Amino acid sequence: MNLLRRWSPWALLLLALAGLIGPRLTGDAEEIVAPPFARPLWLDRSAPPNRHLLLSTKDLEASLDWQWGPPAGFALTGTYRLPEGASARLSWTGPEGSLVLAELTGAGGRFALDGRDIAFRLRLGLSPFQSPLERLFPEPGPYRLRYEGTTPPEELAADLHLSGGRWGLLGTDQRGRDVFRLFLAGIFVSLLIGLAATLLAALLGTTAGLLGGYLGGAVDGALMRLADLLLALPLLPILMVLAGLWGRGLWQLILILGLFSWMGTARTVRALTLSLREAPFVENLRALGAPTWYILGRHLLPEALPVLLATVTLGVPGAILAEAGLAFLGLSDPRLLSWGRMLHEAHSFGAFTAGAWWILLPPGLGIVTVCLAFLDLGRFLEEKADPRLREETP
Amino acid sequence: MTYWSRRLLGALTVLFFVLTLNFALFRLMPGDPVASLIDPRFSPESKEALRKAYGLDRPQAEQFLLYLKRTVTFDFGLSFISGRPVWQELRNRLPHTVALTGSALALSGLIGTFLGVTAARRRGGLLERATLTAGALSFSFPSFFLQLLLLLLLAVFWPLFPLRGSVSVPAPQGAALIADYLHHLALPVISLVLLSFGSWALYVRNLMVKILGSEPLFLARAKGLPESILLWRHAFRTALPPLLTLVLLSLPGLLSGAVITETVFSLHGVGRFLLESIQGQDYPAAGGAFYLLALVTVASNLLADAAYGMADPRIRFERERRR
Repeated sequence: MNLLRRWSPWALLLLALAGLIGPRLTGDAEEIVAPPFARPLWLDRSAPPNRHLLLSTKDLEASLDWQWGPPAGFALTGTYRLPEGASARLSWTGPEGSLVLAELTGAGGRFALDGRDIAFRLRLGLSPFQSPLERLFPEPGPYRLRYEGTTPPEELAADLHLSGGRWGLLGTDQRGRDVFRLFLAGIFVSLLIGLAATLLAALLGTTAGLLGGYLGGAVDGALMRLADLLLALPLLPILMVLAGLWGRGLWQLILILGLFSWMGTARTVRALTLSLREAPFVENLRALGAPTWYILGRHLLPEALPVLLATVTLGVPGAILAEAGLAFLGLSDPRLLSWGRMLHEAHSFGAFTAGAWWILLPPGLGIVTVCLAFLDLGRFLEEKADPRLREETP
Repeated sequence: MTYWSRRLLGALTVLFFVLTLNFALFRLMPGDPVASLIDPRFSPESKEALRKAYGLDRPQAEQFLLYLKRTVTFDFGLSFISGRPVWQELRNRLPHTVALTGSALALSGLIGTFLGVTAARRRGGLLERATLTAGALSFSFPSFFLQLLLLLLLAVFWPLFPLRGSVSVPAPQGAALIADYLHHLALPVISLVLLSFGSWALYVRNLMVKILGSEPLFLARAKGLPESILLWRHAFRTALPPLLTLVLLSLPGLLSGAVITETVFSLHGVGRFLLESIQGQDYPAAGGAFYLLALVTVASNLLADAAYGMADPRIRFERERRR
């Protein structure tokens, strides 16, 4: 099989498998796993690691030796219960002195503070726009998280999470979601919309082409004028208006894309039908009294099938690019995780000022790869359907 | 029917279709159609008054005629967001969109044609292979991805160009303003040229290869005509009408691209206005912007048709032949 010697079917198969199985293995793409714009793990080996410091009722002190610059994230969460009348605090001691992180008051409760909290910044004597991490980690050296109180606590559980600003295979986006998981989730949407919209367009285009080519006359004229009309208009503004007015869900997008991309298929099928209409075998069928739908469905459609298959395959990149364009403009459902949506969020929510190229490259290269693969596959099918093309290609 | 009347009739049909689509789309929406034309924040009395003023209490057919009359005179109503006439907003943005798409089209056309002709003359060279690759790549590269990459490289990592906007804030005065505007326009235009010169070059090359191998050119070469006259006076003249068809065919895509480009680079233009109107549910503005984009396409189609008519001797001499 020549098909199996091409790269495109394998690439598509691999991507489809990754899109189907991947999300199940890696977990929920919407989950927030690390600070925003965390770099990929492999990118910057000198960056600090992710560390946890734990306090419990038995362990009232934890320390670590910090040999790097300030980490990217500092988050302390936990619960406590104190005896009657006691007061306590959690302190943070470094080479340059001690800071109070949290005052524990009352009988008990929970505490949660984060380097991004404005209240926390103000309590450390910083402005709301200053990052507290420089203050918390002024220089490399030993650091200690400690419970200090008049009496030991009845119960204490604290977790200090120091994030090194590195995460996973492809880092995180502006909300701290794993880019690799988002990328895997996007495969499914891109492939599904690309294939479903193209199939719908092929169905419409084949029907229009067969009817127009076989019946001729007014039907043909009307259908082909409509196709010319739609081809003469800028497609994206139409799609934008429709997506904006009618809805942005998965099925609405497929419907909209399908309704506005049948013209190419219709022309191809019509040309083929026209050439077959006067063929002797069709004439014989007519003479035998075969009904029109029978001639169209059982004889002309199978003749058109190879060409149709190639046209459909070559049409998929267009649908994928159109979907990605709409999503990039923010005109898709925000819950629909697609590659275009990722690029939209990278563009709208500060990936640029953060220089976060790892959010940009995976979805973009994904789109390019899928489009090139479908083009390659389409050319192959085209050559199969019409072997003359092989000599003509430069 | 002559070439000209056929073209004009075609343009008018497209325009009528756009008008009908625009009329139907904004009225077939779920909910009260009035909500798409009159600001929902108005009081019931003023809504009623506006309903009368816009003729929304009349039958649909009459409304359609009224709508046709108003649209043809560029009366799109008031924008919900700014409260100003939509046409005023659009008129202010249209030159920017035309400057963007026009310069991109001109540059990519010139570069693409030159590369294509050169590649056709020196078959098998390095330039020809580069042209073929660029052409193949430009079909599968999402425009916004390339533009985002350029932005990241040339505006963030290596800040040669501004990150966003059509002019700096605050805007400079006098001649500096023009320089500043061009500086902001440069990267968007470069990105559009990068995206389209490849397919131009590919098309021109294929066309020229075919023409250079044809019999009239064989005869011209046999006559001993110099290569430059052969190439530009004979071969390129023959290629001109199909090239103008390519301009014509690329226009709708170019305007679609303008919407994306203006969004990526936050440029002041009709495309981004359309997007912002759709996102802000500013229906009169969205309808107006959509109509204007379609109108620009139809008008430039007609222009390209006219150029085609002048370049193709069969059409140029049609009238004289008829006499």
